[in-house]
This record gives sequence, C-alpha cells and structure tokens, in this order.
Amino acid sequence: MTWLWIALGVVALLVVLLVLGYNRLVRLRNEVDTGWANIDVQLKRRADLIPNLVEAVRAYAAHERGVFEEVTRARAALQQAASPGPAAEANEGLTAALGRLFAVAEAYPELRASENFLRLQEDLTDTEDKISAARRYYNATVMRFNTAIQSIPWLLVAAPFGFRARDFFSAQGDTEVPEVSFAVADPGP
Amino acid sequence: MTLQEQIRSNRLRSTIVVLGFALLLLLLAGLVGLVLDLSLGVAALVFALLYAGFALARSRSMVASMTHAREPDPGELRPLRRVLENVSIAAGLPVTPELRVVEDPAPNAFAAGLRPERSYVGVTTGLLETMPKRELEAVLAHEVAHIRNRDTYLMTMAVVFAGVIVLIADLGFRALAYGGRSRKSGALVAVLAIVGFILAPYAALLLRMSLSRRRELLADAGAAEILNDPEAMALALRRLELDMTTVRYADASTAHLWVESPTERVDSSRGGMLEFASWFNTHPPTRTRIAALEEAGGFRLPERLSSDAPFAAELADD
Repeated sequence: MTWLWIALGVVALLVVLLVLGYNRLVRLRNEVDTGWANIDVQLKRRADLIPNLVEAVRAYAAHERGVFEEVTRARAALQQAASPGPAAEANEGLTAALGRLFAVAEAYPELRASENFLRLQEDLTDTEDKISAARRYYNATVMRFNTAIQSIPWLLVAAPFGFRARDFFSAQGDTEVPEVSFAVADPGP
Repeated sequence: MTLQEQIRSNRLRSTIVVLGFALLLLLLAGLVGLVLDLSLGVAALVFALLYAGFALARSRSMVASMTHAREPDPGELRPLRRVLENVSIAAGLPVTPELRVVEDPAPNAFAAGLRPERSYVGVTTGLLETMPKRELEAVLAHEVAHIRNRDTYLMTMAVVFAGVIVLIADLGFRALAYGGRSRKSGALVAVLAIVGFILAPYAALLLRMSLSRRRELLADAGAAEILNDPEAMALALRRLELDMTTVRYADASTAHLWVESPTERVDSSRGGMLEFASWFNTHPPTRTRIAALEEAGGFRLPERLSSDAPFAAELADD
C-alpha cells in the first residue's frame, strides 16, 4: 500500500515538472518569435526605403541602369526571404548592392547635396542600426531557447513536444563574435 | 538567471514587498486602533489606501514635476531619440519609452513609469554635454534595463508605501503625544505603540533601500548585455564618479530613480522621522559597480577617460 502511494507521488511530481518545463520552453519560444518579429519590421522598413532612394539617384544618373537593377533585385530577394537564415543573406546582399549605389552617387555632387537624398541616406543608416539592435536581441533569445532545449532536463520535454532549435539571424561566413552573457551572480535578497 | 527569470523574480519580489508593506500598515493601523480609538485605526487604514492609490495613479506626472523634467518637442533631439530607440529595440522592449529632459549641468539620467508601455527616460542636459555617444548609450541602456526588469514599477510601489507608512506613523505618534489616550489601555500597550510608530518608518525605508541597491547592479548587467559592451557601462560609471556636481532637483524622495546617486550623500533635511536616511544609501558604491562589470566582462578599465567628443556635439549638427 505504501509503495502505491510513493509511486503515485512520484508520478504526480513528474507531471508537475513536465508542465513547468513545457511552459518554460513555450515562454522562451515566444520570446524568439517576438525577437524575429522585431527584425522583420525593420527589414520591411529598409526594403520600403529602397524605391525612393533609387528614384532619387535615377533623377541625376539615369544611365546607371545596371546598379538600379541590382538594387531592385536585392530588394525583391529580401522581401521574399521568410526565415532568419535566408533573410540575413538577402540583407547582406542588399547592403552590398547599396554600397555600389552609393559609390555611383559619389560622382554626382548635386545629388549628394540634395535634401531628399540626405534624408533617405540618414533614414537608411538609422534602419541599419535598428536592424543590428533587433538582431542582438533576437540572437540572444535564440541562444537561450536553443541552450534550453538541448540541455537536460528540458531536453526530455523538448524532444517529444517537437521544440526545434531556431536559426540565428546571421549570414553564412559571418564572423561576428558570439554574444556573451553578463548575468550577475545572484547575491540573494 | 536569464533576464526573463530576473523579471519574474522581480515581480515576485514586488508582491512580497507590497505584502510586507501591507502587513506593516495593518500593524500600524492596529496600534492606532488599540491605543487611540478603533474608528481612528480604520480611518487611518482607509486614508492610507486612498492615498496610495492616488499616488500610484499620479506617479508618472509626480516624478516628472519633482525632477523638473520637460518633454522635448517632437523634432528636437532626433539623434538622441534614435539612440534611445535602438537601445530599446536591442533590449526587446515592446515600445520605446518617451524621452524627457532635465535642464541641469550634473550628468545623470532616470527612468520612471509603472508599465513598460507607459514609461519614460529622463536625461539631464549635463549628461549630453559630458558623455560621448558610446557611454551615453550605456546610460540609456541602464535606464531601459530598469524599465524592462520592472524596477521602475517595484520602486514606485516601494516609495509610495514607504511614504504612507511614514505618514501614518507620524500621525499616530503625534496623536498619542499631544492627544492622549482615549481608551483605557495599559501603559505597556502605549509604550509598544510608541516604539512601533518610531520603528515602522525605518523598517519601510530599509526595505526600500535594500531593494534599490540590488536593482542597480542588475541594471548595469542588463545594460552590458543589451549593448554587448560591458566596458561602455563601466566607462560611463567612471565618468559619473569623477563628476562632482549634483542634481538640483533631487532629494531623498527621488534619489533611487537616477543612474548615479544624484546627491552626494542623500541627506534628508525633512527632519523628524527621516533624520537617519543618509545611512541608507540608494546606490552601491560606484567602485563596486565597476568591479562587477569588469569581472563579468573580463576587462580592466583604463585609468584615463576617453577624450571622445560629447554627444551634444552631434546634436548641434542636426
């Protein structure tokens, strides 16, 4: 009889642990999703700035067709990319194309002095800063989530419930230093 | 502890603090009821709750007026707004806090607001004039970390309740001293009540200060993580430490809000019960905070401050 009670107690404890573990993983996964949404917003904003920028440059340098097409293609690729890995690649592609566009713009002093162009350039820089900020947060959440589902005891919950590791927002060959965690040791109350 | 866990533990602490204050309040009201009059005790309790509710509802604007923070025009200080936006995004805040400016030569910053969606960050003009961009970013990240960790909420609660307790204890003490006892309670109870009225404010204050110091270390670590740059936070702290000016419109009641203790030693000259408030610091020593960052980030802070141009120069170009 005693053994039965002990067995029941153990089962009840396991169920409680399972529920807690599952909830924690769901919470971490939601953070990852929020983090990705934050990046997505900024990527869209960046893509939205491109047509105006191309128009502004075209007004002064209409014959540089190759560069415009390249930028437009890179923008389309960014808009089509739906998941972090490809989006990071496409974002890098757009950065490269924009680099060439600005190199072209260098040759036109009137363009560089125009109010519209300066404003667009500023907005673009701002968006790029925000993308890198959002990426820092997102990559930190992915790190937390992936670490959780790969370590015991969460692993035991993650596997049967289909929690899969998420991708970082980084292009291939990206040699950025990995994020470091600065958690303070808890000195107690 | 991950940050989300810190936030949750903060919420738990908030609950405990509120419960602790509630207990203290009940005790005080009970004492008032016991030695003076039962109806007075109930009245004190009702009054305390009404006052606390009112203060919490008005805390946003109260802090703004106490610190003399003004809301800059929408077109003003755009580069600063951008830094704040970027820091908030990197921190994963749902909404960028509003920006407030305090016209004061002392470099400092604070955060306020009960909910992250309705918070604001205040900076002094002195901060913009002394801090280079990298360090300014760290200070803003520190404030944003306070908002994200729900410190602003916790501390507002603590301040309001500590205030209420001081008030009730003071009233009770005065009533007892000048009004005499209306009920025939024993001398022992009266003595107990007096001791209670005298000690309660200190209990409240201690609760409040111990909370505040811990929060500062967590916010420093949060800022380091948000920017992935613990050295920036340490550099900013060093610069703040070397600065000798103090914020004009800061006193014991708002000291806990600022990134660095805004008064050299928080001295409360309000007299009466709060005379010993300077024993209870709101912030850990700057040296301890820098050391904690050095340890976490694995670096040694250079002896000399960087001579980068202060952020105000960037604001002037715009």
